[in-house]
Amino acid sequence: MTQQLAIIVLIDVAAALKARTLKDNTYLFDNMKLQGSENEGTGDLVTAINGSYWFDGSQAEEQVMNWLPYALGAIPPTVPRSFYSDRTRDSDQEALAALTKIAATPGTNIVAELDRIKQRLGTRASVKSVHRAGHVRPGHKILDLRGEIVPSDSRDDIPELSNAAPVITGITGEAVDKQIIYPAQYGSPDLVTDGWYWSASVDTSRPGIYVYTMEIHLREPVWKHGGWLWEPVRMTFTSKIKVTSLPKRNGFTQADVGLLPLSCPGTP
Amino acid sequence: MEPKDTQDHEPPRQQPISIRAVIDVVGALATGSLSGNLYLLDTNRANGSTGIGTESLRTRVRKGDQVLWTALPLECEAFASIEDIVVDKEFCMVESRTYPGTDVSYWIGTVKRDTEIATYYIKFKLGTRMEAMTTASPAFLVGAAT
Amino acid sequence: MKTKIDIVILVDVISALSDGTLLDGNLAMMDNGHLPSTDQGTPELCTVCQPGQTIQWTIHAVDLQTPVEIRRITFLDTRSDVEDSGDAAVESPPGDRLSLNVWSGVVPPWAIPGAVYKYRLELQMYEGKNSVMTIDSCSLRCA
Repeated sequence: MTQQLAIIVLIDVAAALKARTLKDNTYLFDNMKLQGSENEGTGDLVTAINGSYWFDGSQAEEQVMNWLPYALGAIPPTVPRSFYSDRTRDSDQEALAALTKIAATPGTNIVAELDRIKQRLGTRASVKSVHRAGHVRPGHKILDLRGEIVPSDSRDDIPELSNAAPVITGITGEAVDKQIIYPAQYGSPDLVTDGWYWSASVDTSRPGIYVYTMEIHLREPVWKHGGWLWEPVRMTFTSKIKVTSLPKRNGFTQADVGLLPLSCPGTP
Repeated sequence: MEPKDTQDHEPPRQQPISIRAVIDVVGALATGSLSGNLYLLDTNRANGSTGIGTESLRTRVRKGDQVLWTALPLECEAFASIEDIVVDKEFCMVESRTYPGTDVSYWIGTVKRDTEIATYYIKFKLGTRMEAMTTASPAFLVGAAT
Repeated sequence: MKTKIDIVILVDVISALSDGTLLDGNLAMMDNGHLPSTDQGTPELCTVCQPGQTIQWTIHAVDLQTPVEIRRITFLDTRSDVEDSGDAAVESPPGDRLSLNVWSGVVPPWAIPGAVYKYRLELQMYEGKNSVMTIDSCSLRCA
């Protein structure tokens, strides 16, 4: 079976930052419910990994796991990847057009107009660079849940915002230590996951339930050095895989390979 | 959310309550039903929402709260969108909007009055299927009276 | 003579389930036989083969993460296009264990040169009332 496993890690970022824990704020889903995964939509997901082997015991197929972290309380990841930079650029264009208009119109109350433009300008937030963080987005303006620019650039609290997506920075734990899963971060043209994602192949020769830990960075807007910064907050969350393995068999005979059941001439 | 500053004070909550519908598009299309293939979640657990991650989400709301619904397909290359939200207009008037410059839609509404409980159903467009699919069982907006 | 021919089936699962058909571009079949098979890339693939060759069918979902399995391959009687009851495939266990099946077999020595052997391909996508779909436009032709 070539179906790849996809595990969605959906985090209520605002609640997790407030409580300083991912516990009770993380919801996991995978595409293996039919194949035996349990507790979909909760933090206690057990992902079923059904392997298979040939008659000589060698592994028959490669099972591949992929992790997709998303934020609850954010613009959904289905918007085009360029959405944030497009909105930022549109906002700047609007401001430039408004400035041009002030210059061209004699008698305008310049101070009041400039103030009005400044209010709508929004806030650029930088992301503190962290090694192996993967997809950082420097210089994009903060958007709200409707995709509009948040009109604030002062140290006053931002009234509402679309939370930044969480980032997985590592996969560790029992399943990795025992060499059941081999995780690595990959670059990808897949536009949904921003170009980076964690993936792991699985050794299905040792059936059992294994625990693994995801190291996750959330991003919190913090006022520092005269501007907004997405500060990384490190947290971890564990999940489980349930590995099974069964022998391959021939589809026509349910045993070994044989002759194709084409009709034999002379039979009625 | 309220970002940190040196005083660490909590300004009044202005953030809309986000409800997200996670849909197993393949499951829904193959079985012909959303039952067993839908998970509803919201960002208001701290204020009393229950059933988060189930089909029977009970979102805690107050008069004046804005509620925003978005859809997320379990299979990242599948298409899923909310076609309609069937809820009592007297309680919550909902409308569909689009993220500017995209064809991705969301639904937003304001809770007009405090009430004990209001039920709603969601209709989804899935894959390339012409006909929308409606939730088999309702979800709830729950007021302070409960 | 090449000893093995691979027939690969590609399915757009979401589209097939949405449309309710494997036609209209939702299924493509192709093989790597050295003799000139016809209708490569379509559900009407006719694979040219010879007695003694092993033929193996494998199936993939185009987006890699949706489930699709071969439920059954049944050769249709050449005389009257009904199922060959004497030679029907042994029934597999249902459900997700379909992925354990390896669909391969050897072209038998009694295959008649020039004869076309049509077969029915039954696919299973997830489970439920819309999950099983069939085509019977594909075939083998003995060289």
